[in-house]
Amino acid sequence: MANFSIATVFIASISLLFALSNSFSLENPTDRRILVLVDDLALKSSHSIFFSSLQTRGFELDFKLSDDPKIALQRYGQYLYDGLILFSPTIERFGGSLDVAAILDFVDSGKDLIVAADASASDLIRNIAAECGVDFDEDSSAVVIDHGSYAVSGTEGDHTLIAADDFIQSDVLLGTTKIEAPVLFKGIGHSLNPANSLARNNARVLFSGSLDLFSNKYEIFCSSSNHQCKRQGAQIITCNRYAKSGNQQFVTELSKWVFHERGHLKAVNVRHHRVGETDEPAIYRINDDLEYLVEIYEWSGSSWEPYVANDVQIQFYMMSPYVLKTMSTDKKGLYRTSFKVPDVYGVFQFKVEYQRLGYTSLSLAKQIPVRPFRHNEYERFIPTAFPYYGASFSTMAAFFIFSFVYLYSK
Amino acid sequence: MGKSPTTKDDAQALFQSLRSAYSATPTNLKIIDLYVVFAVFTALVQVVYMAIVGSFPFNSFLSGVLSCVGTAVLAVCLRIQVNKENKEFKDLPPERAFADFVLCNLVLHLVIMNFLG
Repeated sequence: MANFSIATVFIASISLLFALSNSFSLENPTDRRILVLVDDLALKSSHSIFFSSLQTRGFELDFKLSDDPKIALQRYGQYLYDGLILFSPTIERFGGSLDVAAILDFVDSGKDLIVAADASASDLIRNIAAECGVDFDEDSSAVVIDHGSYAVSGTEGDHTLIAADDFIQSDVLLGTTKIEAPVLFKGIGHSLNPANSLARNNARVLFSGSLDLFSNKYEIFCSSSNHQCKRQGAQIITCNRYAKSGNQQFVTELSKWVFHERGHLKAVNVRHHRVGETDEPAIYRINDDLEYLVEIYEWSGSSWEPYVANDVQIQFYMMSPYVLKTMSTDKKGLYRTSFKVPDVYGVFQFKVEYQRLGYTSLSLAKQIPVRPFRHNEYERFIPTAFPYYGASFSTMAAFFIFSFVYLYSK
Repeated sequence: MGKSPTTKDDAQALFQSLRSAYSATPTNLKIIDLYVVFAVFTALVQVVYMAIVGSFPFNSFLSGVLSCVGTAVLAVCLRIQVNKENKEFKDLPPERAFADFVLCNLVLHLVIMNFLG
């Protein structure tokens, strides 16, 4: 039996870089139609709290048995669904046209995916996970055990039902409301492959080593005897009692993130101009003062809200950033900054590379040439050079006088 | 202590002999010498000025200094050619030497004006 120390590791989320996809309309990025594949339709009732939370938020769930021969993700080249939930850990072969490649294409086109496995996870599910950079434990009898933090009830003396309360600190992933009660987890361990490079297109993927994580069983389970104990060595140091586990809140908040109800950014109205002007020039001159503006909005699930952050930076870039400035915001979505064009001419880019945990990656680049001064843009007379002008003219005058004196001195 | 009056006397004697020798120089050569001294002095003033304010309008600095240096060089050339004691140019009439000098100066100042900025 593998013995894993608990962490928040049972969620592997992959939100990766930008490549604009057509998965959702730009005006409304939240997914609408979701295909749910289950091994057994009984799951519909055993996980009903999770599903009904999705339905009340406006999602259309389409339940199908995973070996249903009519399963199809696309028809006539159009995707029928915006999201896919695989609650079918034991399936060896999907029905219909669905296979690993089809699921990966689905993710590559920017669609979202939730995969839950458990100890009986099939090779098919493991393959999907491995292609997304998540390796489930190979040993089919392995489970996650934590002797330091486990739920007392449910599994007497067997510390496989883990109560975790050490979550990733991210409001965009887990919502702003703190999850008070621990989340119960019983399943297999997995690791994220650091070389994972799939789906850099803002598709969101959630892997869980525990199908029960989403189930009603833990939501309402042991309402009076739900303990979480923490030990140090053999010594129990704290033992807290909760009326209810945090699972419902946890999976609801995560599903909000996965299905783009949160953390989806868009940047619009990128513009730049010289300070004091409003028209966008086709070219700048060295040492011009310019102003750059961009509006960034976050999708709240129903409307675009201003995105407020103090770490959005602009680069003025040619091979390397010549200017790197943090933009200030008016709290209404508008980010602006002004700076002086460096004393170097060439073809520059305005670049905004904004990558934050849980948020859509923003990657804006706009090319702009910078020219040197024209000949008539220099000052005609430079005050510093007046002595040199004076010297030149005085030698000329001296030459003139000398010629006279020399010629008439005899 | 005993030595310094002797040194001073020597220096005085040297200067006096120089002055008396120089006073024998023809007037036209003296005028040329004065002109050269003026040009070199102006060049030095500009170099000192550049050392103080920096080399920013470097082309102007070069113009100013080179106009002085060029003037001095041309004047020295003229002095060599019109010097009666110089046998090398005894076949060259001083009028011709002066005409060459004027032509060269015109070219020099044309270049200087273009380069001044």
